[in-house]
Amino acid sequence: MSIKIIKKGLSDRIEDHGRYGFQALGIQPSGPMDFLSAQLANAILDNDLINPVFELHFPASTFEFEQTMYICISGANFVPVINEKSVALNTPIKVFPKDQLSFLQPLEGRTTYLAFKGQLDPKLQWLNSFCSFQTTLNKEDHFKITTDLIKEITLDQSKQHLIQQIQTTLFNEHEIRFIPGPAWNDLDPASIQDLVNQPFSIDPKSNRMGFLLKGPNIHLSEPKHYLSSAVTRGTLQLLPNGNLIVLMADHQTIGGYANLGQIILVDLPRLAQLNNQSPFKLSITNVQTAHQLYRAKQSWFMH
Amino acid sequence: MQKNSAHFQIQLLGDHAIVFKITTILREGIDQDLIALRQFIIDKKISGIKDDILAYDTLTLIYDIQSFKDHPYLFATNIMDAFILESSTLKQPKNAVRLIEIPVCYDPILGIDIQTAAISSNCSVQELIQLHSEKVYTVYCLGFLPGFAYMGDVPKAIQLPRHPAPRSKVEAGSVGIAGIQTGIYPIASPGGWQIIGRTPLKIFDPNSKELTLFKAGDQVKFYPISLVLFHQLNAHLDVD
Repeated sequence: MSIKIIKKGLSDRIEDHGRYGFQALGIQPSGPMDFLSAQLANAILDNDLINPVFELHFPASTFEFEQTMYICISGANFVPVINEKSVALNTPIKVFPKDQLSFLQPLEGRTTYLAFKGQLDPKLQWLNSFCSFQTTLNKEDHFKITTDLIKEITLDQSKQHLIQQIQTTLFNEHEIRFIPGPAWNDLDPASIQDLVNQPFSIDPKSNRMGFLLKGPNIHLSEPKHYLSSAVTRGTLQLLPNGNLIVLMADHQTIGGYANLGQIILVDLPRLAQLNNQSPFKLSITNVQTAHQLYRAKQSWFMH
Repeated sequence: MQKNSAHFQIQLLGDHAIVFKITTILREGIDQDLIALRQFIIDKKISGIKDDILAYDTLTLIYDIQSFKDHPYLFATNIMDAFILESSTLKQPKNAVRLIEIPVCYDPILGIDIQTAAISSNCSVQELIQLHSEKVYTVYCLGFLPGFAYMGDVPKAIQLPRHPAPRSKVEAGSVGIAGIQTGIYPIASPGGWQIIGRTPLKIFDPNSKELTLFKAGDQVKFYPISLVLFHQLNAHLDVD
């Protein structure tokens, strides 16, 4: 008994806490683009927050369930329907054998998460993680889920509060903050002004490796060569043609472009949900603030 | 934010990474102290350190904000002080450097750019093979693809630019040159390096314990083999 893919989406995957510990070998860590929504979907189902989830992009896969179980959808609103009847985001949904879940249109956000109550077959892990490695979900893929006795799952008040907090931070706040990096001082002064004053938006060519930004052309004071060094989730690189790229979940482990800074972790889920049409501004922050904000948001899940 | 400690500089990279950078300029190879520092940190098994990445003149630690109680800068300077203290009091055994020998078939059927590469280097194919294979290279870092090792330094005479537009598919095992660097494609992938040969060895095996053949700091030497031997040894059949 399992969850089955009956129609393939554009680039859907399984994600969990990420595949860490192997970047020294050039193996990218992966993990959910919007880890807050992935955690939220699991929290609503009383799961471990890092339980694997399906990460869906539009057009998303169509799923068929072969057993009774609880699921939850969080993140972008792709108008989910079960057997053609619309279902709500951020709520436990009880599904029955033969039920089909599909997604009609991308209304808000760019990535959504399908969590399920139960455990995936541990044999699907590679290097301590379920994250898809150089593959996406395909038609006929079967995922065996082990569930305990089906217990009713409810949305109590603390969960409702959590949902509200996360929805607000993802979709109603607009700050994308970064900490200047090693090549920041190599920028020409006009480019520094442009970087923090001009709006940027996400180029449609973006993917899980990186978000290419559309905006003012950015330059160094003079051309400079950098030795390759480690890059990480959120690294803001300057390409030789003057465009910026933000490295996302499937980033390479090292890079040789000018490293202008790192978008702070706490703002990456928001960036991961921004539509291509939505302009945003970059602003400067520091490590202490970044850590406080991150810890504060993670504490939302502790209730 | 940075501090000089011996010949290391500490930099914070955003909110979840710390960089130790060597400030002395090396002509070739990775600084042995950087490799020793990496081992020192690994041996400490510090909870909250998720990854360590060695590349050229830097060692980067990726940490988990939640399990990291110290300020990362304070943490880094403490680690550095402990490392310096230990390396001055203990007689450190010199790190054993591995020398890995890699068979390469330079036949133009596999080394699809070798003939044009020889022309642009103003030498014969045979001379190019000799120049490429007589040198001992250092693995400066891994990246781009799982197990892809950036090795250097390629002799000046055969340093070749990348192709202006990358090929849509370079076969697994292909040995390439890009400027000062040489490397092997662990899996079939798009790529722009000048391909001068192919190794029959598996460079990346997701099912093996080691996963990758190389790690940063390794020494590598290539040796030429025939096309017949290449086919006898070829381990890539099952991955292509």
